[in-house]
Amino acid sequence: MEKKNDTRKENIQKLLLRLELWFAPVLIIVPIGASLFFLWDWYVRGFSTGSSVYDGELFLGLLLLVGNLAFDIPFLRSIRTLRKKE
Amino acid sequence: MFFSEMTARDAFKFTKQKMTEYQTEILERMNAIEVDAHWFRRVFHTFAASFLFYYLLPDQDWINLGKIVLPVIIVLCMVVVEYRRIRGDLDHQRFFGLRNYEKKRPASYLYFGVAILLLFLLFPQQIAIPCILCASFTDPIIGESRYYLGKKRAYAIGFVISAFFFLVTWYRADWWVLILVPLLGATGAVMGEAKKLKLVDDDFMIQMLPAILLLLMWQGLLAIGINMLPPPMLHPL
Repeated sequence: MEKKNDTRKENIQKLLLRLELWFAPVLIIVPIGASLFFLWDWYVRGFSTGSSVYDGELFLGLLLLVGNLAFDIPFLRSIRTLRKKE
Repeated sequence: MFFSEMTARDAFKFTKQKMTEYQTEILERMNAIEVDAHWFRRVFHTFAASFLFYYLLPDQDWINLGKIVLPVIIVLCMVVVEYRRIRGDLDHQRFFGLRNYEKKRPASYLYFGVAILLLFLLFPQQIAIPCILCASFTDPIIGESRYYLGKKRAYAIGFVISAFFFLVTWYRADWWVLILVPLLGATGAVMGEAKKLKLVDDDFMIQMLPAILLLLMWQGLLAIGINMLPPPMLHPL
């Protein structure tokens, strides 16, 4: 039982030190959240009021979404393939 | 009565044991996950584009103060971490995705952060936004296409993409500005990326070189009475 507890503690410590595992979800979720916010802002302040002043938000929202997804997909794939190798 | 009590205790013990086993298995599985450093670095770049959210922050006194103080504090924390890493107080191995040449000099994320800080504080958003986009997307795109298509074509692609970013962010400027600015900005961005310096990282140069070129052009034209700057692209909430 003690051995098991030690392994568990070791595993937790290892996990805490692996910053990349903590960063990975943030690196994926935050830009997508930000891009959706830009798009929502364009919809609320621009599209629904018929104003073209907020088109910049639309451009940036789309750019962020497409640009991030283009790199997120290979990143997530690379995680999976390395897991398969394990 | 005794029999049922024993069963309950046994059931509790059994459940606890199963839970511990399950927990250990999950921890082991998570530890078995490996993140590819190459793609991790690329995604770190594209993530930085979300800092443009900065320009949506409301225009109020205390928020405006935070817009200056918070980025400065974040960059200062990065400086402290890097200082301790280079001195050897923090283990280099803990910093995932660092390149070998970054062992004894500040890592590129610090240069990236300092450049974004300078752009936020010293440049108008019309100049800062395309420069940040170049560092976020052009840099990884050049990096990837260099691998498949070679250096020259990669830089050509980088030039076109950077020019596109300047074109999109200055879309409300006059036609002659829409020709000059993308050409100058994209040239600066590609030169910043292509020229490898020992002390300054390309993540800094790809943002600062086009920004300085455009700032000089803007100020030069202002001096003769021409304002080429279009209205801001993003509006505070």
